[in-house]
Amino acid sequence: MTGNAVSETSGFSARVCKNGAYGFASSAVYTPESVAASVAAAAENAAFLDQREKLGKVPFAKVPSFREELRYTREDDVTQKQIIDYMNELDALVAKLCPKLKSRFTAARCLTMEKLLYTSDGVFAHTATPRSIIYVGLTAEGNDGAPVEIFEPFGTFGVFDEVFTNPVQYESLIAELYEQVMAKAGGVYAEPGRKQVILHPDLAGILAHEAVGHTVEADFVLSGSVGGPNLNKQVASELVTMVDFAHTALGQRCPVPVYVDDEGTPGTDAVLIENGILKEFMHNKESAAHFGHTPKGNARAFAYNDEPLIRMRNTCILPGKDKLADMIASIDDGYYFIKTGNGQADATGEFMFGVNFGYEIKKGKLGRPLKDTTIAGVAFDVLKTVDMLSDDLSWSCSGMCGKKQMIPVGMGGPAIRAFVNVGGR
Amino acid sequence: MDNRQVAEYLIQTMKEKGADMGECRVSSNVKTEVYYESGKISMVRSVLGASVGVKVLKDMKKGAIQINSAEKEALDKAVDDALAAAAFAKPDEAEGISDEVVTASFEKGPKVPDRDALYSAMRTFVDDVKRDYPKISFDSISTEHVASEVVYQNTNGVCLTNSNGVNGYGAMFMAVENGKSSSFNYFGETFTDFQQPLIERGLARTILSETERQIETRNLEGKFEGDILIPPNCLDVFLYYLQQNFLSDMVHIEGTSLWKDALNTVVAVPELTFACRPRDERLAANQPFTGDGYIAQNMNIIENGVLKNFTLSRYGAAKTGKARSANTGGYYVVEPGTKTKEELLASIPKGLLLNRFSGGSPGTNGDFTGVAKNSFLIENGKVTDAVSEVMVSGNLATMLKNITGISVETINDGNSILPWIKVSGIVISGK
Repeated sequence: MTGNAVSETSGFSARVCKNGAYGFASSAVYTPESVAASVAAAAENAAFLDQREKLGKVPFAKVPSFREELRYTREDDVTQKQIIDYMNELDALVAKLCPKLKSRFTAARCLTMEKLLYTSDGVFAHTATPRSIIYVGLTAEGNDGAPVEIFEPFGTFGVFDEVFTNPVQYESLIAELYEQVMAKAGGVYAEPGRKQVILHPDLAGILAHEAVGHTVEADFVLSGSVGGPNLNKQVASELVTMVDFAHTALGQRCPVPVYVDDEGTPGTDAVLIENGILKEFMHNKESAAHFGHTPKGNARAFAYNDEPLIRMRNTCILPGKDKLADMIASIDDGYYFIKTGNGQADATGEFMFGVNFGYEIKKGKLGRPLKDTTIAGVAFDVLKTVDMLSDDLSWSCSGMCGKKQMIPVGMGGPAIRAFVNVGGR
Repeated sequence: MDNRQVAEYLIQTMKEKGADMGECRVSSNVKTEVYYESGKISMVRSVLGASVGVKVLKDMKKGAIQINSAEKEALDKAVDDALAAAAFAKPDEAEGISDEVVTASFEKGPKVPDRDALYSAMRTFVDDVKRDYPKISFDSISTEHVASEVVYQNTNGVCLTNSNGVNGYGAMFMAVENGKSSSFNYFGETFTDFQQPLIERGLARTILSETERQIETRNLEGKFEGDILIPPNCLDVFLYYLQQNFLSDMVHIEGTSLWKDALNTVVAVPELTFACRPRDERLAANQPFTGDGYIAQNMNIIENGVLKNFTLSRYGAAKTGKARSANTGGYYVVEPGTKTKEELLASIPKGLLLNRFSGGSPGTNGDFTGVAKNSFLIENGKVTDAVSEVMVSGNLATMLKNITGISVETINDGNSILPWIKVSGIVISGK
């Protein structure tokens, strides 16, 4: 064991708006004096900016006051011992199931965000969002002597012992991971170029988040992203519907439920693309007022000293009607991309993400395993080529979006068939 | 209590509560920021931050806690929680704390924010860009001042303090014309004062001008092996990958670093000297001591092509049986070469000016592949069209042996001092 740490951060912030100019101040010290000083500093910052910029904006329309009481409560907390014991058992299981590795690691990361929000409109909200994730990384020696890796996060919403009851629950997944890393040891480089591929739900999720989601955040739209000129236009195949769910999707709680955002707007779903048509942007109160749209609860802040930004919550492409096996069988020469590392998007909708595991598809059958590669494309172009979607939905629950502040997000989707550009040698 | 008193209290408490060894890191900072987004200077922020890190060892078992309160009750609880965590940990003979007993204080930069200067620099920058680069549309800009104090103490008697103040700015933007946008682009810098207008600093004008020329792009057909010219801001990313993949604790503890047995062997062309210099006086940012309580020293990682050092912490060194490094990385400085960047450019028949690499982190074998963002084709020694959907592939280790030129010009962005470098044998592929 090389790490054993607990981190706890708390504090408060105040945000004041004066004629469209914002002042913000925060502190980690909870005393009446410190609170008064921070509120005064926020007001003074707003006045400082108002005096110089003279934006002259009118206040937002007042919203009805409401209370959002804590939905998730727990008297006791999980102990460090419980987590360590579990991780020791899990590590032993990995060692047993994966005998030929060069190295392995297992890590647990639990994050709970608890917030109290008060607004001048009279909104009060008390929310708590726990998330527990375990990471398993396996490294084997490739046929060329160089190391090859496979990495997988497991977990979802909840405190550690609610999510992880017994390491044996992951036995088959770890065995599958081991099979993948050993296969990857004999992997080949993907051929670069434009290919028809199947994207595993994890990749479809990151496509939804990175490639489309960011371009339809209203602040990015205002800066000139490709989302702006495409509102109410066909941006994807008619089979594609994509939603940023607030808290509940298809009857199930989402990985990162947002019942009220950090400006006091109740969380409702934003249907970004419906049957291929771009239908709406994601907003905070200010951008919603600018466009004359309704805010849906996308203004989110991470730490106590962060101001709310327009953020995604649980973004996913809705499932279709196809079976994964039929989708693979339908491809003559392409790839099935299964695991992703990270991803990035662009104002133009151009995106890329790393692919850490996949297979060739030759004449409808899975072929040789692949070494690491990267796929890229232009979001709306790629989505227009989607012609098959599997009938299942899978969430990736470990996402942290890094737009100015890190914040947990959920991403999901079915497996999709589309054309993308493949990097390689 | 001030930070020093908090640290002393923690060390005393650790001893009283039975820790065999312990260390703490107490820090506070004040950040003042002016922020621009959605077409206007939108916000002024004042943020007070604090952090208290406690590590204890009991029977060579470690417990570590991080909190952000300096209240006595919270400090007592942090030590209790750390000891409780240690009780459940596994013993690790590689654990320990710094035994280079020294008391030292370091100080650098302006400690007091100048909010008017932060605002004026922002206002002038926005106006300058609007006048000189009208196609540029900002996503966000921030000008900020951060004053911080960090105190490290341990039960061996090490006591280190760093009091620091820096100004900086960062901008993220794209170019827009007739409803069509370029890729987004960004730059940032850390510095001590606002004497020089932001638009005149570093690569600001170059990057803004290039971004305006990236609205129209060319796609490439097929693939070829060619040369790439990497500017300082993009080189920084590759050096970071290099550190993570070949030099850091993690890859040496796991035994996956390709360079694990390569010390004092040739890993790059002889023209390359690459250093980590956290105490370089030319840099606005600095780190006079490491996170584990040693006074940091500047060190060469690669000297004339020969690998001289890793970036191992005390723990990483003890775990692997290797020597502890003089610092734990960052603050990159690459020695300049002998040719101008124009000469390097002129020597490339077909290749890419790789302004930004957008790709997954390379695997431990060093293979990388990613999209060439904000980049231009180089044809017959000249920069021609901006490209889109072009990917580059190579290997970090191989790349260092394929460097075919280092520029005499360097850019100091306050965190690193880097030249342009030319690398051959990179696979460049289009659709």
